[in-house]
Amino acid sequence: MPLKTKIFLRRAERDDLDTIVAWMDQPDFARFLYGDPARSPKQIREQIVAMLGRTTAHALPGAVYLLIDSEAYGLIGLLSLQHLSWRNRSCTIDLYIGNLSLRNRIVASLAAFRAIAYCFDELNLHRVGAYIYAFNTASWRLFEKLGAVRELTLRDHVARDGKLYDVYAYGLLRPEFQTFCEKHADLFRRSDIDMRHRAPAPGDAPAHNPIEPPTETSQ
Amino acid sequence: MITAQHCFIRTADPDDALALERFYAPEKPRAAFLDRKRELLVPTFDELRELLSAKEAKAGVFYTVEDRAGTIRGFCSLRGAHPEVSHAEFVVVFADDADYDAPFADDVFEFLTDRAFVQLKLNKVLAQCLDSEAAFRAFLAARGFQSDGVQRDVLFAGGRWRRLESLSLFRSQFPPRNAGTR
Repeated sequence: MPLKTKIFLRRAERDDLDTIVAWMDQPDFARFLYGDPARSPKQIREQIVAMLGRTTAHALPGAVYLLIDSEAYGLIGLLSLQHLSWRNRSCTIDLYIGNLSLRNRIVASLAAFRAIAYCFDELNLHRVGAYIYAFNTASWRLFEKLGAVRELTLRDHVARDGKLYDVYAYGLLRPEFQTFCEKHADLFRRSDIDMRHRAPAPGDAPAHNPIEPPTETSQ
Repeated sequence: MITAQHCFIRTADPDDALALERFYAPEKPRAAFLDRKRELLVPTFDELRELLSAKEAKAGVFYTVEDRAGTIRGFCSLRGAHPEVSHAEFVVVFADDADYDAPFADDVFEFLTDRAFVQLKLNKVLAQCLDSEAAFRAFLAARGFQSDGVQRDVLFAGGRWRRLESLSLFRSQFPPRNAGTR
């Protein structure tokens, strides 16, 4: 499986609307994330326009909605960063792989990695959190592989199809993401993801920016 | 107004704004008063008055706890209670940490759990406390709440990261009143 997929994040354009409406109309979207299955396409469209309109080009608002795109596969999915706090340097992340043929493939993992790297390396966050339903095994396994820690198990917390399910809350701290990058430095060198600033090859510049003070955690 | 054994519990009104304002002291952050981003809110007196005039407050979801002498000792609430989600956030804040051991704390617990499990028939109640809220955590643990885990580095306040613990109490764990256990 090639690792060179040239995945990138970008703001949504008007032309993306039909694709996003189709994703949000999938039964999986309401099951794994949120939304009322009874919504009409018109309501979904209005919601999307409102959501994407909040992602401005300049100042970052309290929530950011971006598309995950790639040269190799085209549109992959939708990324939403919510509860963005500049004071706490944290957010919660929702990731939806709308292109069903790409689920459970390495490209989905790379997309999730891209999204998390954006949080730490572009938004300079300290913590990325995620709430994932227990039945969404593929998602929480992926987060664990990326170094996230299961911090909460909220028992019988969400109702789906007349049954109550657990919800897991995950947290990934900046130092843990750094550890993940160092551990998988070899993988990055084989991919088109440039993580030399976090996982340098022998002879590269030091991984840590000498002017950036070390991050303290309560660990 | 509910006349409990050791206190009065009544719907909060705009005149309680001054008492409520003291609970937002930044040097003593409380999980109950963090917003959805887990940031500390520092509302003004006018904003609190407005908040307590709002429809939700009038509908009786935010309560003032007064002792028998009529002094406001704290506030309590079942936040976000909705039949579809079948759970709500259990909020109790007292001005003084020692009040969590006071007899009226039991009255407040009885009142909220009765509303949650008997009247609203919720499946569970959830509570959250910061690592600095040891008295509130002990209050919850002593009454059967079980930890769901701890979220790390959730809030940055007072020059350090704070942890946030979630605890829950299920209706199935809640002994019925006529069982003679409470």
